[in-house]
Amino acid sequence: MRTQLKIIQIAGLVFTLAYAAFIVWIYATEPRTFKEVTTSAEVAAGTYEINQEQFNSALNLFRHEQFRAARDEWQRADPAQRDARTQFYVAYSFYREGWGRVYFDQELFKQGVEAVNRAIALSPATSLTIDDPDLQMHTAAELKAELEQGLERSWSDVNPLKVLRTRK
Amino acid sequence: MITTDTEINRSRNRALVDFVVLPFLFLTVALLGGLRIGAESRTFIFIAPPLVTLLFAVLLMLLLVRGGLLRFRQWIGSELPPLTNVAHIWTFITIFFASAQAFNSVLPERGLLHWLFSFCFLWTLWNNQFSSFDARRLLRSLAILFGTAFVLKHMLLASLYSPEGGWLQRVAGTLLQGVAVDTPTFAPATGYIAFLTLALYVAGLMMLAFAVNGESKQLAVREVMLDDLRDSG
Repeated sequence: MRTQLKIIQIAGLVFTLAYAAFIVWIYATEPRTFKEVTTSAEVAAGTYEINQEQFNSALNLFRHEQFRAARDEWQRADPAQRDARTQFYVAYSFYREGWGRVYFDQELFKQGVEAVNRAIALSPATSLTIDDPDLQMHTAAELKAELEQGLERSWSDVNPLKVLRTRK
Repeated sequence: MITTDTEINRSRNRALVDFVVLPFLFLTVALLGGLRIGAESRTFIFIAPPLVTLLFAVLLMLLLVRGGLLRFRQWIGSELPPLTNVAHIWTFITIFFASAQAFNSVLPERGLLHWLFSFCFLWTLWNNQFSSFDARRLLRSLAILFGTAFVLKHMLLASLYSPEGGWLQRVAGTLLQGVAVDTPTFAPATGYIAFLTLALYVAGLMMLAFAVNGESKQLAVREVMLDDLRDSG
């Protein structure tokens, strides 16, 4: 009888501690839908994978300069924003859309910096490199520097020769 | 033999309730107490318990001890096995967070009403510290406290600030003109979740009260048996 009580106590403790950990995790991640709950659970369990089909479709849109549509697709491909490669492309799409011959769209560049920072944080110890011949910047560090440069204000902004620069 | 079987079953069920059902119930209250559903997006919004609800939970725990619903001396002691002590401490922790979240579910999220409700809770809990309570009275008092707060927040205020709004909204709008009420609106499902949360919380406390009664009866029976043994000896 005593053994049975001990088993009930141990089982109760283990089960309810796991439940409490789940509650803490829910409040920490704040999922907005049941879908997000499952996605977050996949991330936590290490089984999360992006939707490759949607990623490719987004890449196709990106190559056709449809940046917003591409970002939408990438958001669907990587809803948890846990894939470094996808986040790199998202940042690149912000860069290309925000780039202008006369001025850079500050809001888009800011979002680009956020996305590239996510990509850097998610990439392993070595620097993130994307091998894509369509791109002129292949590393996250290069892209981040370009985006940050675009956000800085300097006297060179009034240089009329700036209209000759090219988008990367 | 029948008595022994009955006793074994009783202890087994008691252990199941104490170490599995009650912590699970209170943790569910802790989960649902901060859950709201957005009015427009219809998505989950998780609101962590504000600091003031932790203070309310401390005061409520003191009340539960005074009312005899929580029996520290019987549940935690050096004569009990360490595992039993740990399991009981864990149950206390779950009750504490369930209490905080029960308050969270009926407390307006921000603005003037948040502080008005907080003041009323604080006043009631503080006054109750000096009243004489038993488990039944305390349960009744808590059910009324949470019931009133629920009706005020999820029925009266919700209809007052609903996008459709009726005459009540117009009257309140005129009366409270210039006062920063600032109450966020949520989908009606939030009210149902809050109702379930409070129902579970009160049910948990009732189960606790039954457990306490059971323990008292067992103790009384044990004392009578001991007296009989002493007399016969």
